[in-house]
Amino acid sequence: MSSWYLGKNPEDDIVVSTRIRLARNITGLPFPSRMSETQREELNQRVKKAILESNTPFARTLKFIEMKDVPEDERHAMVERHIVSPEFVANQKGRAIILSQDESISIMIGEEDHLRIQVLCGGLQLEKAYDTAARLDDLLCDQLNFAFDEQLGFLTECPTNLGTGLRASVMLHLPIVEGMGQIGSLADSVNKIGFTVRGMYGEGTKASASLYQISNQITLGISEKNALDNLKIVTMQLIEKERRERKGLNKLKIEDICMRAYGILSCARILDSSEMMKRLSEIKLGMGLGIINDEEINPIRILIEGQPYMLMRKFGRMSPDERDIYRANMVRQALMKKGN
Amino acid sequence: MLCEKCGKNNATTHIRTVVNGVVTEHNLCGYCAAKEGYTDIGNNSLGEMLASVFGDVLTKNSASAALRCQCCNASFSDIAESGKVGCSECYKTFYDELLPYLKRVHGSTRHAGKIPNRAPLMVKPQKETIDSLRMKLNELVRLEKFEEAAVVRDRIKKLEEEKGNE
Repeated sequence: MSSWYLGKNPEDDIVVSTRIRLARNITGLPFPSRMSETQREELNQRVKKAILESNTPFARTLKFIEMKDVPEDERHAMVERHIVSPEFVANQKGRAIILSQDESISIMIGEEDHLRIQVLCGGLQLEKAYDTAARLDDLLCDQLNFAFDEQLGFLTECPTNLGTGLRASVMLHLPIVEGMGQIGSLADSVNKIGFTVRGMYGEGTKASASLYQISNQITLGISEKNALDNLKIVTMQLIEKERRERKGLNKLKIEDICMRAYGILSCARILDSSEMMKRLSEIKLGMGLGIINDEEINPIRILIEGQPYMLMRKFGRMSPDERDIYRANMVRQALMKKGN
Repeated sequence: MLCEKCGKNNATTHIRTVVNGVVTEHNLCGYCAAKEGYTDIGNNSLGEMLASVFGDVLTKNSASAALRCQCCNASFSDIAESGKVGCSECYKTFYDELLPYLKRVHGSTRHAGKIPNRAPLMVKPQKETIDSLRMKLNELVRLEKFEEAAVVRDRIKKLEEEKGNE
């Protein structure tokens, strides 16, 4: 089960998660869009062998899974847990993934690039996540001949990833900055310095629960360290801004909003996804402000487990209306710790 | 504000480019922006966006339109249309065509990050031989020259066995 959203992590009143992704390709094989079925199979086997037959701890903790063997609902649930991209499960033919038991490390094989090495951590932990990804990269690099050019760096299918192939991102909870209507101007200003702001589930998605992903755009002409340092600086500024704005709020008003959210989620019998997200966001805000002081409530965990396919994976196939009932039950139990 | 190109229509497209820290700004009307090759990127996917920046090379340069990658057989128009490069060799084949756009996207064309710790020089030629043979094999299979492909396949096998015995 995913572990990135469990436990206490640095700056997690605002930073929900940190993600590092490295794009890598192997010389001698065309990029995935032009790969034949046999080449996909060859790629899968080479990557599998490189990791599972290595004499490293990775060989023991990672397992190889072919996407065709994963049931459809579970594939979508993997997207909801942020392990794979929506694009990756859209076509599972010839695709495989290497996954750690706690799901913090994943390698998508045959997505847009031959390899997408991904490490997820809770809170703000850029160095830690990059360090793990880099160790995995070194291991694979020894076994597989990565496509690399001295001038252009690591070669990737899309030229926007060329160079380091590194996409570092942090997911931030910014309800007050959002409420003040400042996300647009914030997106503009981080854009100018080479970062993008996106919704919770990446490219082209709307933000929900006031969760925003900030990631680096530029990968050529900048070192990994500089890219990470810059992202950290931008993130710290956003954290400070959100914290500062939170301090200026009318205390009673905000307490009312957070406690109402708590009340609704503890009592609701029918709960659709968007209401759940909105209320959990308010509860998370309440926890960040010390209004709700229950360490056992984990709004991010509830939010992920309340996603449609996560519910169906646990309770079986059902209609959206039935899902709203199961969702309400699940959320109520999580808040009330059983009973009710 | 009027369009700085035609001076007739209202400027609706604001273009800001940053190349190596040098900022240039233009205010154009929709018509002139489209003529200059700037399209509305708001609703387009990244691929389409790249395709639009690649697009004009083809019309300007017929020589690059005829060129194909030796390894994966992609033409530059394949890359331009999809926004996706065919294989790692394409970066060599279409280097000149790609360079201006890499500069536009990243503001730089020189890698400044990690360099993979490649195997020592002694081993490198062999490593490259297996890879280059694989590439040759792929190409022969594609051309349906199966007899020649079988010879190459056996050579790869032999090299891999030798490597395994080391």
